[in-house]
Amino acid sequence: MSTPLLEVVDLHAGYGLTRVLHGISFSMEEGSITTLLGANGAGKTTTLRALCAMIRPQGEVRFRGERVDSRATEDIVRLGIGHVPEGRGTFVHLSTEENLRLGAYVRKDRAAVEQDFDRIYGYFPRLAERRRQQAGTLSGGEQQMLAVSRALMLRPRLLLLDEPSFGLAPLIVRELFEILRTINQKEGVSILLIEQNAAMALDLADQAYLIETGRVVLSGSAAEVRNNDAVRASYLGY
Amino acid sequence: MSAVAPVAASLSPGVSRHRLQWTALAVLLIAACALPFLVSNYRTFQFTLVLVYAIALLGLNILTGYNGQISLGHGAFYAIGAYVAAILMDRFGVPYWATVPIAGALCLVVGFLFGLPALRLEGHYLALATFALGVTMPQLLKNKALEHWTGGVQGIVIVKPDAPFGLKLSPDQWLYLFTLAITVLMFVVGWNLIRGRVGRALVAIRDHPIAASAMGIDTARYKSLAFGISAMYTGVAGSLGAIAIQFVAPDSFVIGLSIGLLTGIVIGGLASIPGALFGAFFIQFIPNIADQISKAAPWAIYGIFLIGFMFLMPMGINGAIRLGWARLRHRLSAQRKGG
Amino acid sequence: MEAFLHQLLGGLATGGIYASVALALVMIHQATHLLNFAQGEMAMFSTYIAWALINAGVPYWAAFFLTIAFAFLLGLAIQHFLMRNLRSTSVLQLVIVFIGLIVIFNSVAGWIFTYTIKDFPSPFPKGYLFGQKYLSPHELGAIGVTMVVLTLLWAFFRFTSLGLAMRAAAQNPVSSRLVGIRVAWMLALGWGLAAAIGAVAGMMVAPIVYLDPNMMAGILLYAFAAALIGGIDSPGGAVVGGFLVGVLENLLGAYVVGNELKLGVALVLIIGVLLVKPSGLFGSVQVTRV
Repeated sequence: MSTPLLEVVDLHAGYGLTRVLHGISFSMEEGSITTLLGANGAGKTTTLRALCAMIRPQGEVRFRGERVDSRATEDIVRLGIGHVPEGRGTFVHLSTEENLRLGAYVRKDRAAVEQDFDRIYGYFPRLAERRRQQAGTLSGGEQQMLAVSRALMLRPRLLLLDEPSFGLAPLIVRELFEILRTINQKEGVSILLIEQNAAMALDLADQAYLIETGRVVLSGSAAEVRNNDAVRASYLGY
Repeated sequence: MSAVAPVAASLSPGVSRHRLQWTALAVLLIAACALPFLVSNYRTFQFTLVLVYAIALLGLNILTGYNGQISLGHGAFYAIGAYVAAILMDRFGVPYWATVPIAGALCLVVGFLFGLPALRLEGHYLALATFALGVTMPQLLKNKALEHWTGGVQGIVIVKPDAPFGLKLSPDQWLYLFTLAITVLMFVVGWNLIRGRVGRALVAIRDHPIAASAMGIDTARYKSLAFGISAMYTGVAGSLGAIAIQFVAPDSFVIGLSIGLLTGIVIGGLASIPGALFGAFFIQFIPNIADQISKAAPWAIYGIFLIGFMFLMPMGINGAIRLGWARLRHRLSAQRKGG
Repeated sequence: MEAFLHQLLGGLATGGIYASVALALVMIHQATHLLNFAQGEMAMFSTYIAWALINAGVPYWAAFFLTIAFAFLLGLAIQHFLMRNLRSTSVLQLVIVFIGLIVIFNSVAGWIFTYTIKDFPSPFPKGYLFGQKYLSPHELGAIGVTMVVLTLLWAFFRFTSLGLAMRAAAQNPVSSRLVGIRVAWMLALGWGLAAAIGAVAGMMVAPIVYLDPNMMAGILLYAFAAALIGGIDSPGGAVVGGFLVGVLENLLGAYVVGNELKLGVALVLIIGVLLVKPSGLFGSVQVTRV
């Protein structure tokens, strides 16, 4: 049994005195797409933030067998974890191209970086059109694509996505998720996806975990979770 | 002097605590009155200056501590107060005791007027604008056009008044007692102001300006008022200071004075009345101590003191005392309960 | 007409110096949202180091670059050891720390080098160049050096990956961490660069106003005015603002308020800009959410 790509054991975290996560545990295999589902305030975003050390976690986080829970964000990035945060985190005053270049900041292989530009523009031709434009003037959907692209420029092994569908038209979301599926299948990028849009997430993912008030309450394959009655009632609406 | 800031209620009232405070106050007042008869004339003069600074610092605290408007230019109001006293006494023969309220009134108006454009400035920008005011003041005072009144670079010399009614007091002693009386008056007025509606409005504006105005507080009026009142206090202090030092000249009021006043309230303790007194002691005596520590670069020591305070005692001396007092009481009551 | 041109061009020369210091102020503000009140004293102190080196026999340009290195390290140290640990304090406490720095630098400079006014050499040849009489060789040289420094900086930020990372760290530290930028180092670098620019400004202005511990106080005020006029978050604006303020200072000083009240011009400019158009000519309007 190979080491899971990501192992999270008994994760506790919060903001100041407010504790949000009360012992989250889950794991991910290399090459899989895993989704964390849950209502607002359940602790999904907090989980991603704790993984990237944007807030300090208690508990164990292992990436490819190594413990990373006491490392700084900048070092975790260098291990190959790309994070597309809630709200996209676009560098709004910089150009599209500069945003992408920053995504590859920690990489040393210059030639490959230039090639990656072409690859990314291949996935997202609209970004190519707007490469010199100030990123803050892009539409919501374009900024989301830019945020994902920026993380992809890292050539990450693991991509963390925080509610990529937020505020986007369904058509664009579908487009985006297709690209995510392609990236996962063609390039082997593992994906950890947080979504409120449970239906779309379960469509894309292999594994799913349901989080409620800071704890994992249900886990299984995406198909199992999708067919769970409670989930269908509360999160899928049918 | 009450150490209670208007918004924070004391956690363990009880008659004994208040009585302790009043007793301490009475003792302090008696000691203060006895002082000029116990120490040399020079020391009395130094303590007069402590009182003068205390008034100025209370004024600045009303603006910066309680109302959150940073001023790096209060030296300008101090200078105006000083020059008003000097000009009235020297050019117009106005008796010294009358110059003090006149200086205060004038500075009240000037401060209020300056407060109007300052309404639109916050934080660093207000600090910068007031800093510019503080730097420019000496230049204005040296201006040739005003020389006839201000005495230009030479300044004005004034005479220290003798004790009235033939009292057997040296001028230094009399001036100290006169200043003490005014200090007590200003502090009582200030204490009432801060405890009352005005004080609460000022603090509300400092902490939550938008919520305050949503509650119906006219923030603009109070903020300009705070500027005016604080300038008045500082102007009164300036006039008393001029009389004590017997001399005003543009270079007495350089930016260092404004800087000294601001550091005084931060070191003494923001938004506290005793803090004004602690801060006054600091700015009067620490430069001397710093001088003793290092004859070569006393201000460097002063600067190190400042930065050190910001790291170790950001709540100022008053804050440290209150913290220590609270801890002591906590420990005592825990002991009593634990048995 | 001659006098007017003289004032105008002289204003451009001093304007270049204001532009440099204003740029340093904007850089630190962009990265930390702080106004570095101690910028002037840091520059003054660095200039004294240059003076000491030159006095010890070091050739001018060697001393020049050594001083820049010194200033860079000084700025780095202040950010890394002092400012970094103060992040959670209030605006007022930060202002006090800046005041502490001002006082320390001023006093140590006075202590080590005394308060007597000193001559500071100019590296540019004597004798008016190009047959014109409006700009002394030093003034011309100062403008030249300023332009070189500004151009190098612009190129650094525009074309290098480190420059891009610094811009990113200043604008959005959270996202910067997510792409692996070590934000704390970027802040320290920013301070170092700003201090270095200040040192260049100090070395260019010292031959004109003579070296003494209070040399930079007025200049700092003008630089603030320039930074505000240009827009506190616009480096280009700071440069334009600097030249503008230099010219205004000279023209208003010569024809309107008289030389003594020149500093008053800075006061009026600062207050005026803050009241009328706080975002300056090129800055963006900041919207604070309730």
